[in-house]
Amino acid sequence: MFKDIKKMPPLTPKAIADMPHTKLGIDYNVWCKTETGNHKWRNIRWVTLILVNLLFFASFFLDLSLLEGSLSGSRAMGFYLIDVYNALQVILISIPGGYFASLTMNFWIGFFTILILSTLGGRTYCSWICPYHLLAEGAEKLHNYFVKKKMVKEHSFNIYLRFVFWVGFLLLALFTKNIVFENLNPIGILSRAITYGPGLILLWVLALLIFEIVYSKRFWCRYVCPVGATWAITGIVAPLTVKFEFDKCGYCRDCQDVCLVPHELWFVQRGKATQEVHFTGSDCTRCGLCIDTCGGKALSFTIKGVDKLL
Amino acid sequence: MAKESKENSRRQFIKSGAVAIFGLAALGGGVSYLRSVNGPDDTRTPYFLRPPGAIAESDFIYGCIKCGLCVQICPIDAIKLAGIDSGLSYGTPYIDVRTQPCDFSCDSLQCVETCPTAVLDFKPYEIAGGNAIAAYQKEHDVAEVGFNPFPIQIKAMKEEVRMGRAHVNKNTCLAHQGKGFKGVSRGLDFEGVYRSPDSKFKKATPLRDIEFDRETCNLCVTECPIGETAIIFSPRRRDGKMRPKVLDACTGCGVCVMVCPTEEPSIIVDPDLTHLSSGRGRHV
Repeated sequence: MFKDIKKMPPLTPKAIADMPHTKLGIDYNVWCKTETGNHKWRNIRWVTLILVNLLFFASFFLDLSLLEGSLSGSRAMGFYLIDVYNALQVILISIPGGYFASLTMNFWIGFFTILILSTLGGRTYCSWICPYHLLAEGAEKLHNYFVKKKMVKEHSFNIYLRFVFWVGFLLLALFTKNIVFENLNPIGILSRAITYGPGLILLWVLALLIFEIVYSKRFWCRYVCPVGATWAITGIVAPLTVKFEFDKCGYCRDCQDVCLVPHELWFVQRGKATQEVHFTGSDCTRCGLCIDTCGGKALSFTIKGVDKLL
Repeated sequence: MAKESKENSRRQFIKSGAVAIFGLAALGGGVSYLRSVNGPDDTRTPYFLRPPGAIAESDFIYGCIKCGLCVQICPIDAIKLAGIDSGLSYGTPYIDVRTQPCDFSCDSLQCVETCPTAVLDFKPYEIAGGNAIAAYQKEHDVAEVGFNPFPIQIKAMKEEVRMGRAHVNKNTCLAHQGKGFKGVSRGLDFEGVYRSPDSKFKKATPLRDIEFDRETCNLCVTECPIGETAIIFSPRRRDGKMRPKVLDACTGCGVCVMVCPTEEPSIIVDPDLTHLSSGRGRHV
């Protein structure tokens, strides 16, 4: 479905008279910078991310019992939530291990809750909750700075590499009878460090960050993280997404510059859009950076299906 | 041009994919090697026990998702998560009994009940508790004044626990040398807590608050949360000297290890390793 839209004949690029800045009667460069300095969604997102992770810490430290556990498995006010990729590994090992029947009802409740939630929002988890994302966002800024100064060279890989790791870590769990991935998973490591105190394992997270700064931008999130890959799979059907309206777009591509997954905004380039309205695909983390930066307000959060009713 | 770049990206994907697969295979090999060298059990030591209800260690490692819910729920913070120095066991829960043992003062084994993947398996405790209630109900009537099966249930549940079994080091034990003990057992800085069997408190209190005075040291016997089915003070056959003797009902909770006043504990818990071979099941 996604591929089909991309291959359809593109809409005719807008003439100068149809561009949003001409309609408003202002200079193009001024129009492009209308929203510069607007960080509404970014700020909301950062506050949410920090609050959620702080809530884990506070629940343990102050004995609040609001959000206990860590991001690999938790209990929100008594209601279990289990990370789907972690759960998949446990299920996969449990079958040959004769352990499947022992998995508790709470395990299944947590597994399906997160699975259903992720089919609603896809990779929203990545930019709104994942603590590694926040650090990697900083690392990405540094990386971009170094690339601009020509101090480091950008290396990019194929984004489908994630699915090699996705299958690979599952097989690894099956063959070694050990949830190996959880020993390397920076999300779990950081979450546990935040809640239960830091340990030497944080050096691994630091190493990842340094690698991302000096070698390849967003290496873990883009090419490895099977947790995010899981959400990218379930996100195919997610109704919560970012809507793009062609008639408001001025081809400035600022949104693609700030986007954490620029390939999802392929339709903003001149002569690429095939529809009047486009939705971002399953890799979109719903971070809202593009929405903040868009001078023409061509991008907005939407819930597919519901927006037509309103 | 477009075709060429497509071919290029395909080639690059295959190349990086091959590197990824090689990396994963190396990781798998490394993990298998570590396990064959260390065995599945590289954490359990006399001071390093799994929480109550832990299933066979080899199964434990692969069921534990390192969420830390058992750590959260323990009211006396007995359970901790292992660091990376524990290798493959990183992030799994353990109890360091010399610092803070499990004293059952939560009265419900909630760490076991909270575990979502059941590597801390609540089933046996549920059954033991249920049987105890059933037996109690046979003898007592609901209408009876003071009808309360819960203490019986809790007792049956905690007696079902097998984290290990304590054993006494005769060379250093004060009782074995005929010595007594007077004072605060582990010093005034010690932060461990427990619920003393003869204390009127419902909750655990710091060990440093209690001053002992024993003619012959018998702290491990008197402070045991299980009681005389687990450890008794009995005369030695040879000379009639009193010394502690561990019995079969010992749960391996480790309170005796914490209260032991000698520099190195004279009583330690041997982790329950009888079930190390793979395959799920109760360990008794």
